[in-house]
Amino acid sequence: METLETIKNLTMTQWSFYAVSVLTLFGALGTILSKNPIHSVIYLIMTFFSLSAHYVLLNAQFLAAVNIVVYAGAIMVLFLFVVMFLNIKDEAPELDNNKIVIGASIVGGTIGVILVAAIRLTESQKIDPSTYQIKTGFIETLGQLLYSKYLLPFELVSVLFLIAMSGAVMLGRKEKGERNF
Amino acid sequence: MYPIISLSVTGLLTLFLGFSENKKIVFPASIAFLLIALATAFIDWNAPGFYFNDMLQVNNTSIVFWAILIISAILIMGFSEGFERFEFAQPAEYFAIVQFSLVGAIMMVSFKNLIMLFLGIEILSVAMYVLTGADKRNIRGNEAALKYFLMGAFATGILLFGMAMFYGATGTFNIGSGVFIGGDNSFFLWIGCTFMLIGMLFKVAAAPFHLWTPDVYEGAPTIFTAYMSTIVKTAGFVALFKVLSTTFSGLQDFWWIMIAVLVTLSLMIGNIGAVSQNSFKRLMAYSSISHAGFMLLALLGDHENALGSIMFYSVVYTLATISAFGVLMVVSKERIEKGRVYEQNDLFKGLAQNNGFLATVLIIAMLSLAGIPLTGGFWGKFFVFRDAASSGLFWVIIMAVLMSAIAIYYYFKPVLLSMSKKTSLESITINPLAKFIFAITTFGTIVLGIFPWILRSLF
Repeated sequence: METLETIKNLTMTQWSFYAVSVLTLFGALGTILSKNPIHSVIYLIMTFFSLSAHYVLLNAQFLAAVNIVVYAGAIMVLFLFVVMFLNIKDEAPELDNNKIVIGASIVGGTIGVILVAAIRLTESQKIDPSTYQIKTGFIETLGQLLYSKYLLPFELVSVLFLIAMSGAVMLGRKEKGERNF
Repeated sequence: MYPIISLSVTGLLTLFLGFSENKKIVFPASIAFLLIALATAFIDWNAPGFYFNDMLQVNNTSIVFWAILIISAILIMGFSEGFERFEFAQPAEYFAIVQFSLVGAIMMVSFKNLIMLFLGIEILSVAMYVLTGADKRNIRGNEAALKYFLMGAFATGILLFGMAMFYGATGTFNIGSGVFIGGDNSFFLWIGCTFMLIGMLFKVAAAPFHLWTPDVYEGAPTIFTAYMSTIVKTAGFVALFKVLSTTFSGLQDFWWIMIAVLVTLSLMIGNIGAVSQNSFKRLMAYSSISHAGFMLLALLGDHENALGSIMFYSVVYTLATISAFGVLMVVSKERIEKGRVYEQNDLFKGLAQNNGFLATVLIIAMLSLAGIPLTGGFWGKFFVFRDAASSGLFWVIIMAVLMSAIAIYYYFKPVLLSMSKKTSLESITINPLAKFIFAITTFGTIVLGIFPWILRSLF
């Protein structure tokens, strides 16, 4: 009966949190359990969208938008392209290897147990609604942080992109003559 | 601070130099750029401070490490001869990527904020993935680059997860500034510490995160193998030290046992694995795993001395490794089999008879790696053993001494082969620059073996 009472007393935010969480977990499980790679990718898109919903619940609207644009948009399209080009379907049996599945479940399960235990043992601080800054997750605040406190890392990311770009050009450039292995 | 700016700008200039008709200009220009960066490093000498809202910490210690990193890069790039011999080469891109990767290495030795550490590790790693696959027509190189990239990406993910946990526990990315240790949130701090250690130990190739090392070292072009095994290791160990000695120093009761187990594992896997290797590069890869174990020993002891020991060890290791890979580069280009340079151990057969200079360089490098007295390697090992002894961990030290004995066996394999009578090679040509670099590295190894306090007194 007690659980029923708690469910009755849930606020709107809590309801949406649980609904979105169920969707996220369903999508994540579908990604790793479905046999067809295309289905996997579509489940993954679902996971990304519900993660964005989580960001909105956490008052990080900009992050939510970026997550949809970059992950659900650009990266998933890349994923789909690769899956369609490679035609992975025929090479699936490798994944049925029981040893890998058992090992991965043990490792994943252990980490999960550790995390759950840590969360249960930690007393997190509740946010005080009266002093909470509503603008925390807004794009203005983020921009100001990026151009003041985090200016140096923000600029140095460009070095990382330069390496990635020149490396991609170097590796992708066409060579003269035959390939000889 | 200044070398970061200088290297970022000159890296771009090097990319543009690639457009010029005269390809010969790229090599001397990049060496000059590296020398400029070295000179700018010393502008901040005796002027310690924090830059950009505590993102970067500059003091004499970090400047010494900048100098070590840039000088090692200059010494290694000296062997490239402008990549004129390699038909696959795009020299401008290589030199530019090397200069950019040094930016990452410099960030890793002078960070004050974990975001800087993460960016530094990423800049250095992405550069290494690309350089590993630089020889596009070598199928081993392709395999190595792909393996390194996939496993490195996972390690980065784990590192980032650890940093997120750290942020959750402390509410800050700054290391060593009013960090909240103990109390309610310490569970997340433990998780963060463990995962960050995993991510960083992967980069320095400590067992059991070493599985990529032999394949990647073998597949990459030798010059980039040398780069990988010296610069990434030096920067990675300084980063590990900074994280463990500042942020997690209050958790030492928690992490020392992990490090002690990792030391034993790295020493065992590295030294026993190296015994049966026929390829010289695989031998050096396993030796690099075991040296990671020796350098981790320094972290177990008193933190006052540890940084000096790590510095000394990385300098002598860098000198010996550059000599060894340099000799391999010079000798292997004389023997081509199936369109590839020949890199097995028996390449060195009869080297002493054929070219006494190269044989001397190789033998001194091997003696230093094995830790024989009168070479720098002996003192490197001596200092890390002394550090570990100060913490009273004698079982780890006994283990390490036993493993050093095994190391002597496999380091003497190339030495004995080079002494043998039968020679398989024609005469070997060395260009004067390579000769000069060999002279520096060998002389440095011996000087540090006789007067180790030259370097130790810096700290």
